[in-house]
Amino acid sequence: MTKTISRRDFLKLGSAAGITLAVGQMLSPKVAQAARDAGHLNAAGDGTIPSLCEMCVWRCGLLAKVQKGVVVKLDGNPDNPHSRGNLCPRGQSGLMNTYDPDRVLTPLIRVGQRGEGLFRKASWEEALDRVANGMLDIKQKYGPEAIVFSATHNLSQPLFENLLYGFGSPNYGTQRSLCFNAMIVANLMTYGTEEPARNYSKVKYIILTGRNLMEAISTSETHDLSQVIDEGVKVVYLDPRYTKTASKASEWLPIKPGTDMAFHLALLNIIIGEGLYDKSFVERYTVGFDILAQEVKKYSPDWAAQITGISIETITRIAHEFAAAGKYTLAHNGWRTSNFVNSFGTQRAITALNTIMGNWGTTLFPGSGEGAGLGAPLQPPYPRVSALRLDGVPWKYPFVPLKLGIFQELREGVVNGDPYQAHGWFISRQNPVMSIPDRGRTLQAFRKMDLITTIDIIPNDTAWFSDVVLPEASYLERFDPLNVVGDKAWLRQPVIEPQGEAKSALWIYKQLGERLGLGEYFQYTDEEDYLRQQLAPIGVSLDEVKKTGYAQLPVEPPNIYNWNTTTGKIELFSETLSKAGFEGVVKWEEPPVPAEGQFYLLTGKMAQNTQFGTQNNQLLHKYSDEPRLWMNAAVAAERGLKEGDWVEATSDVGRIHVMLHPTEAIRPDCVYMTPGYGHLSKALTTAYGIGACDSVLHKTFTDPISGSQALSQTFVMVQKA
Amino acid sequence: MKANLTIHPRLRMNISPLVWALLGFMALAGLIALYRYAFGVGAISNLSNSYPWGFWVSFDLFTGIAISSGAFIIAAVIYIFELKEFKPMLRAVLLTALLGYIMEAMALMIELGHPERIWYFFIYQNWTSFLLFIGLYVMIYIAIMAAELSPAVFEKLHWEKSINFMKRLMKPLVIVGAVISILHQGSLGALMLIQPTKLFPLWWTPILPVLFFISAVAVGLGMTIFESSLSSRYFKRGLEVHLLSKLAATIPFILGLYLVVKFFELFYSGDAKFLFNSGTMSVLFWSEILIGVLFPMIWFAFKRNRQSAKGLLVGAVILLFGMILNRFDVSWFAVKHANSITYMPTFMDPATYFPSWSEIAVSIGIFSFGILVFGLAVTYLPVFETEDHAHGPAPETGD
Amino acid sequence: MTETIKHKAFIFDATRCIDCRACMVACSVENNIALNKTRIWLAGEGIMGIYPDLQRGTMVYHCMHCGHPDCLSACPVGAYTKRLDGPVEYDGDKCIGCRYCMNACPFGVPHFDYDKGIIEGAFIDKCSFCLQRVDNGLEPACVATCPTDALEYGERDELLAKAHARIAAHPERYINHVYGEFENGGTSYLILSHVPFNQLGLPTLPETPVNEVSEQVISLTLPAALGIGAVLTVTAVGVSLYNKNKEKASAQKEPEDVK
Repeated sequence: MTKTISRRDFLKLGSAAGITLAVGQMLSPKVAQAARDAGHLNAAGDGTIPSLCEMCVWRCGLLAKVQKGVVVKLDGNPDNPHSRGNLCPRGQSGLMNTYDPDRVLTPLIRVGQRGEGLFRKASWEEALDRVANGMLDIKQKYGPEAIVFSATHNLSQPLFENLLYGFGSPNYGTQRSLCFNAMIVANLMTYGTEEPARNYSKVKYIILTGRNLMEAISTSETHDLSQVIDEGVKVVYLDPRYTKTASKASEWLPIKPGTDMAFHLALLNIIIGEGLYDKSFVERYTVGFDILAQEVKKYSPDWAAQITGISIETITRIAHEFAAAGKYTLAHNGWRTSNFVNSFGTQRAITALNTIMGNWGTTLFPGSGEGAGLGAPLQPPYPRVSALRLDGVPWKYPFVPLKLGIFQELREGVVNGDPYQAHGWFISRQNPVMSIPDRGRTLQAFRKMDLITTIDIIPNDTAWFSDVVLPEASYLERFDPLNVVGDKAWLRQPVIEPQGEAKSALWIYKQLGERLGLGEYFQYTDEEDYLRQQLAPIGVSLDEVKKTGYAQLPVEPPNIYNWNTTTGKIELFSETLSKAGFEGVVKWEEPPVPAEGQFYLLTGKMAQNTQFGTQNNQLLHKYSDEPRLWMNAAVAAERGLKEGDWVEATSDVGRIHVMLHPTEAIRPDCVYMTPGYGHLSKALTTAYGIGACDSVLHKTFTDPISGSQALSQTFVMVQKA
Repeated sequence: MKANLTIHPRLRMNISPLVWALLGFMALAGLIALYRYAFGVGAISNLSNSYPWGFWVSFDLFTGIAISSGAFIIAAVIYIFELKEFKPMLRAVLLTALLGYIMEAMALMIELGHPERIWYFFIYQNWTSFLLFIGLYVMIYIAIMAAELSPAVFEKLHWEKSINFMKRLMKPLVIVGAVISILHQGSLGALMLIQPTKLFPLWWTPILPVLFFISAVAVGLGMTIFESSLSSRYFKRGLEVHLLSKLAATIPFILGLYLVVKFFELFYSGDAKFLFNSGTMSVLFWSEILIGVLFPMIWFAFKRNRQSAKGLLVGAVILLFGMILNRFDVSWFAVKHANSITYMPTFMDPATYFPSWSEIAVSIGIFSFGILVFGLAVTYLPVFETEDHAHGPAPETGD
Repeated sequence: MTETIKHKAFIFDATRCIDCRACMVACSVENNIALNKTRIWLAGEGIMGIYPDLQRGTMVYHCMHCGHPDCLSACPVGAYTKRLDGPVEYDGDKCIGCRYCMNACPFGVPHFDYDKGIIEGAFIDKCSFCLQRVDNGLEPACVATCPTDALEYGERDELLAKAHARIAAHPERYINHVYGEFENGGTSYLILSHVPFNQLGLPTLPETPVNEVSEQVISLTLPAALGIGAVLTVTAVGVSLYNKNKEKASAQKEPEDVK
């Protein structure tokens, strides 16, 4: 009974011509009853249930309108600080993720060649047994470290980590190094915290380095930025592309890629050199200022002008304007800071700039810890792991937190079999086939695997290449552990019955854990029991939380002038780094530049998609611009290239064909690809065949300090196809 | 290929190649219509949200109705102005007009989104809409023309009482018909009043209905001449040159009036500034004026042209061509719907429009139907006769 | 525009819109719009200028819910009505699919189901003002979801005051004009912009609604009909009498000449 996955294999959810009723979802027992008990649904099955979005990491609070057991509309929850009543286009399209005709709704076991997409349906019993036995088999033959566990960080992460560490493997892959390792490690080195919280209520001057908030939407922060721009706050935006944020900023600087650090170093040079910084703050709360001051002396505006392409006058003027705003300033660290190997240095420069302006306590505050104040089921300590991590953390990369890891190095370790060969890969809520740079090499890594297991909701590319696919319930169909934002713990609860055989991650991890002999790490009977244990310390009932959508946490008075560094102060000079043989103070690093005839290959975000996961959503597809390669219009004209021409882009590791979009909105030395397309999985009937994949072109780089990938250090040649 | 088709022993027909062709076009149009009913208007046309009206409206509605204006003119000439000499022409002209209106109604059955609701004009009425009036006018006028033609049928059936009844009713009927026709022809122009921002200023004016009426009179006369010329050739009957020449004599005055009114309006409103520097629009406008107004105006001023069969035909054809161009300009060529800088990748409607082959085929099929019915009517009904047999030339004798 | 009745209206502020299209997705879901149709469109030149001196002008728009709707004026069967509180409603039960409304609307709003046959039924689709939300105290779906408050909803007079206040607070940022305040007789979708409105894709319209001339002329129909009828009747009677007299006279003169 083998056949290629097609939408007909799954629950027939109606035509593509609209959101139609899910068959058999009328007044289903469990969820509907629970929702009725909570007062959300009336007898007919109509009502509104509060929950959390999962279309991106911002996890906006939402209100799901349900009619007769079908989600018909999602609205932002006005009480939730991340949404404030709004939802971005992805959030609004979320129910199409749940009702995607291509969804995986039963466990699948591969029957054809890996990558052919031939699977057969299996029961949970069979699939889970297959996975557990396979993993135990590999553990027995090669050791537990031979299984790689990777998941993109989500609310069930603690239980995922229980599988990983309980199993005894050190090999933990997250998407972090592809995204914000540079930012996080720099913050840890400087403030002792992963990410400070930003507050826009008093800001008067903002420097945005990348962080295209108007397209990489984080609903409330995007709203804040828009609001302060509306009120007249000055926003200087650095980006080689004229993005939608550039069009809203007061000033757009088309900075040369890789030179953000030089710009910030020049600002430091001027502000420190002219004594415009907050002397008392620096004296009270920082260490290493003198070393910093000495170091930045050489980073003059004309030095920076030559490197960045921004004029001396502009740099000087901005430095003075920024300084004039004193502590009402914000140099935004950005998020996806995996641009160049010197991005770590850029982050250090940005944190230094914020520090000397003394804006800590005005625009920057300590970040809140995850899960702070909540309970958790008991679990035994993890077994000792003696094997080295394949990604070289910490033995090659001492400063990369274990929870972050270096995903691209992990992939390298699998391909090279160095220091040992991995044989299994367990993936949850992640698409490494598409996300890790150099897709060809990732597929090579996959070919070394004896067992690849993927948990996903749609047959995404990684699932397509797997041996076993386990269907997770979509976010509208499941409970997840609580999400702490500010002084509240927010609940994700199911608003409809899970379709088909789909189950929550909490359930899947527990089932698998028990079969792996790790039952003690999953001491909860079901999802609700887990949540009750989380709520136990704060004494709020789960029923209460289901009603309102959140639990109020006891508020502790913040101690904002306390940093978790070795000195207890903000470290402009890091002894820790210095002792390890790295530069303790921020120091200019020259980035590589493309050769003659090559372009920087830029990547970025678009408002209608989230990384590699949403291109199959028909509602988003409906409103997405066609993904093309951007090239500066004058440059394209010179080469005789026109809108819609097929071009070939080649890097050292790959080649793609894509349509060209000549535009004024990009530097002449850059090209940009709309990210997230070029899927390999034919089971994604909407997304397959559209666009090309930039991961095919991306070379692998690793910053030795933060482990960050350098996505813009790939240079490409472009010619007519 | 001539085939002998025996439907009934008393009705033996030779089906000529022309008739086969006409039947073929009708069948094709019928198939296209069925496809349309199954799959929508977009399946058989290039109409879009940028161009909701196109070839059918220009050809079947605007042109079709304009060329049907001969009926009320001839009827008025005969029954109001009592110029009885024109009687021989009446029935043919009425028939042409009736068929013109019926063809328009057939086109509507394809073009309307809900042709099965065409009778809604009678129950849901918005009196600020010129389209409502046009819908009602079409239906009422078809009834009136049918009534005016009924004596021809009654003669065939030898229903003397009915013939006498209709005789008495004729004059009031003609007056009502004339009023309706005048308003109708004007209303077609008035249809475009509601889109002053979309119709190029060389055409849009508040007095568009007046201009349409005046030109409709000219078109009607031209069509009368044209139809008489063609049917005299095809059905081998005499051409009433003396009558037609009298009609043609009025054309220069009518066109002259049109010219004066049109240009007075252009200068008065200031739109004259667009006359020469508007690119394609200028070309279209001057083509209309030269071909549809100036040429026929001058041509028919010469007695020599008015009094020869060839001269009449040439003048009529050119007049018709120019005036049909005017109808196409007002309803299509000079209309710009699309907001050319609206963009949305998935939904972008084409900013230009050209009819698809199936659109044209539908109109050809409907037109073929009209020709066929005209031919049948002429063959089986006393169309070319008047009620006084003794006064008219006998049918089927040459001249 | 009547002054006494409060009309519901929107503000769209082009300086705030980030072209994220959340409004379009929200509208599609809220109103169950087919995947190949939309009620909200994107318009505008987009990116303007030459690198690096660039500017961006886009707008999202839907039915303007005009004060003197042209669609309403044009529709022969009265399928459009305007609620007392502003929204212009379309009633598919009356529609005959003539598409005259599409001609009439200067903004090109009504869109037609060109892909539907007789059985499914081809109708016009346009923004319905989310009346199912608005009549229950909620904002229209597009307004509710907009992450940057580019779309706002409220009572027209209040929104106009707000719009003008916003222009006054930042004269360097806005074109000094609220589009839709007077255009086409006033619309209920009011637009603020940093670039000339035609660069957003908006037509230049006079303050008189485009249906004004049409409605004025159509009110002459009955008088015209009566007048023409009278003239023709008088003419007919006159000619008839004249001819009868002529016949009598000639009959009297030459009684033997009968022909």
